[in-house]
Amino acid sequence: MHAHPKTQRTGHFIDIFLYIPWVVTGVMFLALILSGVVERTLVSTSLFVDPKVPAQLNPIQLKKEPIGALRIDVNAGLPSNQWVTYEIQVKDQQGKVIASGLKQAWAESGSWAEEGESGSWAEDDLMAGLDIRASQSEPITIAINVLDYTDTAGNELNQPIRFGITVKNGVVDDRFLWAGLFGTAFIAVLTLFSVASTGKVVINKSNRDSDVVARTVTGGAEQLVRVLVKVQSDEHSPSTFNIRLTVHDANGEQSYSKVHSVNVNHSKDDGVVKSGRSSLTTFFVLEPRTSYGFHVEVTPDVSVDRTRIIVRENARTLFPVDVITLKST
Amino acid sequence: MLTKLFATIVVAIAAITLTAGFTQQAALVLRQENQNHWARHGTQTSGTYRSGVWVDSPTRNSYENFRGGGPGVGK
Repeated sequence: MHAHPKTQRTGHFIDIFLYIPWVVTGVMFLALILSGVVERTLVSTSLFVDPKVPAQLNPIQLKKEPIGALRIDVNAGLPSNQWVTYEIQVKDQQGKVIASGLKQAWAESGSWAEEGESGSWAEDDLMAGLDIRASQSEPITIAINVLDYTDTAGNELNQPIRFGITVKNGVVDDRFLWAGLFGTAFIAVLTLFSVASTGKVVINKSNRDSDVVARTVTGGAEQLVRVLVKVQSDEHSPSTFNIRLTVHDANGEQSYSKVHSVNVNHSKDDGVVKSGRSSLTTFFVLEPRTSYGFHVEVTPDVSVDRTRIIVRENARTLFPVDVITLKST
Repeated sequence: MLTKLFATIVVAIAAITLTAGFTQQAALVLRQENQNHWARHGTQTSGTYRSGVWVDSPTRNSYENFRGGGPGVGK
């Protein structure tokens, strides 16, 4: 005996694990926004530095802190077509260098002419940055040392360079956070594509025809069965197909049969339809677990090249879906 | 199964990058010989620690050969 097929929208088969990547991506995004909250600007000034004569800022107190680091950002105010090699130095209380970072900065410009067109270009790379973490709290002094200063012809220059210096404390390294955000977002998108392939494939059968029949043991209580029908059609594809999906029970008796109307995605070349693709996804709960037959019939059948049925059991969903329950006793 | 794997991977990515970013694992740690320093703006350290003392690296003076950048390079 068959109970009448019952269709019900349910969120019972939603997999919460599918939401975790999205929640984590949101957390990474929040972390990026909030990462600037803890930072404080200690110094924001400019300094004129003569070549070979280190110039320094007033001492600042470096504290050992659990979050962030002391960030020194330096921007060399270099006129066009000059090169400078400079060093950010960190000195201790006795004036001894305890850390240094070397930057080779340049600014160049020029003009170009090619195939009757011309224009000008200007490029530079002037920023230097050093993040330091303290192993102990101590006063430090930040100095800038110009090691080499020339024009593009290689002539030594002997004039002061203006450096813009910003020192911040508690700065979080956002390069890691960006990497984390892209990584988690990438996987979050992957999960969206993986939803349709959750569960175990129990039928994957195709036919170069407009109908396909397959039978397998599937179903059971609390088992979501996802039935996917794919139709490939030729250049005479209509705008919609009628797909009749029929389910037969173990005795061969029809327990479900319904015609679904699906839209056809046409692929066009110069506005002319070359082929069509359409698909139908339906969800079932089949009780008890036994042998079920699936029969797909596509009409109108003239343009149909191939019909495929894929049945997955133990499927999961991202949103509530309409589930057809077939129970036989 | 796949969704659980994805969930585990994202949690791991988030834990690693948040820890590394907020505790500044790529910063230069003063007076520590083992460094995980990751240069910003192409600023390479010009020394290393030997017994807690900063020693200029041997390549520090190679800046003499610096020839700038830009589209003119290599022509």
